[in-house]
Amino acid sequence: MGQRLRSVWPPVLIAVVLLAAWQLLVVIQDIKPYLLPAPSLIASNFFSDVGLMWAAALYTGTTALLGLMFGTVLGILAALLAQRFVVVNNLVTPLAAGLAAVPIIALTPLLNNMFNITSRTPRVLVTVIIVFFPMFVNVTRGLIQVQPVQLELMRSMNARPRTVLRALRVPNAIPFFFTGLKIAAPLAVIAALVAEYFGGPQSGLGSRITSAAANTAYGRAWAYVVASIILGLLFYLTVLALERWTAPWTSRSHHN
Amino acid sequence: MSIEPTGEATTTEVAVRAEGVWKVFNPGLANEVTALQEIDLTVTRGEFVSLIGPSGCGKSTLLRVIADLTHATQGAIQVAGMTAAQAREDQRYGMAFQQAALFDWRTVRRNVELPLELQGWSKDKRRVRAMELLEMVQLADFAEHRPWELSGGMQQRVAIARSLAVDPPLLLMDEPFGALDEMTRERMQNELLRIREETGKSIIFVTHSIPEAVYLSDRVVVMSARPGRITDVISVNLGQRNEDTREAEVFFESVTAVREALRGRTSGAVRSRVGEV
Ligand SMILES: Nc1ncnc2c1ncn2[C@@H]1O[C@H](COP(=O)(O)OP(=O)(O)OP(=O)(O)O)[C@@H](O)[C@H]1O
Ligand SMILES: [Mg+2]
Repeated sequence: MGQRLRSVWPPVLIAVVLLAAWQLLVVIQDIKPYLLPAPSLIASNFFSDVGLMWAAALYTGTTALLGLMFGTVLGILAALLAQRFVVVNNLVTPLAAGLAAVPIIALTPLLNNMFNITSRTPRVLVTVIIVFFPMFVNVTRGLIQVQPVQLELMRSMNARPRTVLRALRVPNAIPFFFTGLKIAAPLAVIAALVAEYFGGPQSGLGSRITSAAANTAYGRAWAYVVASIILGLLFYLTVLALERWTAPWTSRSHHN
Repeated sequence: MSIEPTGEATTTEVAVRAEGVWKVFNPGLANEVTALQEIDLTVTRGEFVSLIGPSGCGKSTLLRVIADLTHATQGAIQVAGMTAAQAREDQRYGMAFQQAALFDWRTVRRNVELPLELQGWSKDKRRVRAMELLEMVQLADFAEHRPWELSGGMQQRVAIARSLAVDPPLLLMDEPFGALDEMTRERMQNELLRIREETGKSIIFVTHSIPEAVYLSDRVVVMSARPGRITDVISVNLGQRNEDTREAEVFFESVTAVREALRGRTSGAVRSRVGEV
């Protein structure tokens, strides 16, 4: 407990100092809110708008969660298929690098036209695609990168390929799965949010940010940005907790 | 075909027989390697045979051919009177490697249960058997621990317990103590001898340590590299091992014999004595 407190202290202290410096800078230099609003202004907007903000976060969070779930399931299914083909082994890493460079979010306007723009569907779809790749790449890696000696052991015990998959490859992929999920979860929030910038229902955090900015309500826009950051962190921390809880060996077993 | 010293043994007394075994990796390619050349080896039931030789001489390859983890290019392998493939399918051997190769996501007990699980044993029977084996390697108290909570020596004992799970008549061990410190290593050697006495297994044991090979074995098979072949087979007669064995005259004599056999290979002066042993 003392340990944990000690590790929490420094970042909190730094945050407080930075916020104070920011506030001072804005007040002393008389910086205009459209350039940089003071933390106090953002905070007052945050708390005065908290009801709407909750609803917006719920909307965007739901989009992100749906995208995360479907993207993850699709990524896992594709990885299970891919691990059967040896070629994939050599392709996964360059594939990962290549895909990371593709701006999938740019597809949103097209998806908006392909599907009903007044629905949540195109946004979920963008999120699904964005979540899919890190999940697919990482889970495939986990299924393929088993220790050769463990494979030999399974063979010496006369295990069928199906058994090797169930008893070795799948459990081996769990830490990789969480690595993927830790990348994908915050990405899902970003995707769900940015997808709202391209029109459609005005109920999410992304829409609120654009409309506040368009109305020169900079304090409010920033307050929604803060809410978005909190939502992203929430997704990330949930994954972290899930990992600790379901796969406690992932963080401790890098000994051989 | 040359007559082996154990050639008159009946099939039931033969644990492993290799006849004219060759293993060539990447045949016909630029990186062709003759890992095994004309290997003849017979291990009788209950015998402890060590394989020793310089790195790359094909010790692991020979073990893997016997275990049917890879196929011989030429020659015949017999394990417990059947082909290597049948023996693997029937689980007639257990295998232990230099790495313990435990599964981190399983408890110690469930690691030992793994081969039983693959054989379709019921949960209760598995549990009883695994606890029995953990008792044998003196790790019953750690049954519900995770592998990473154990020291290297303890992990290796779990791996040995696992290799004994289906009660195979033969153990194939590839430098199982290679990563352990000297003290732990000697303790593990005694433990292995005790287990062997309790279970009567035949054992083929790969090692780089001459004293280890001598201390454990009935026969030490000396191999040489490029191409990998058997150059000497040295019988060791230490009788019942105890604390004094490692300091006994006969022990040092055997150590010297093995060392010279290993050296003889490099000088090229000593001709192969396989046929006469
Ligand atoms: N899969 C493989 N493909 C190609 N060559 C191989 C393969 N496995 C082993 N070899 C070669 O076969 C030879 C024997 O290898 P092996 O691993 O059996 O040696 P070893 O006696 O076990 O060595 P060490 O004592 O270092 O473990 C080596 O030259 C090695 O490079
Ligand atoms: Mg080897």
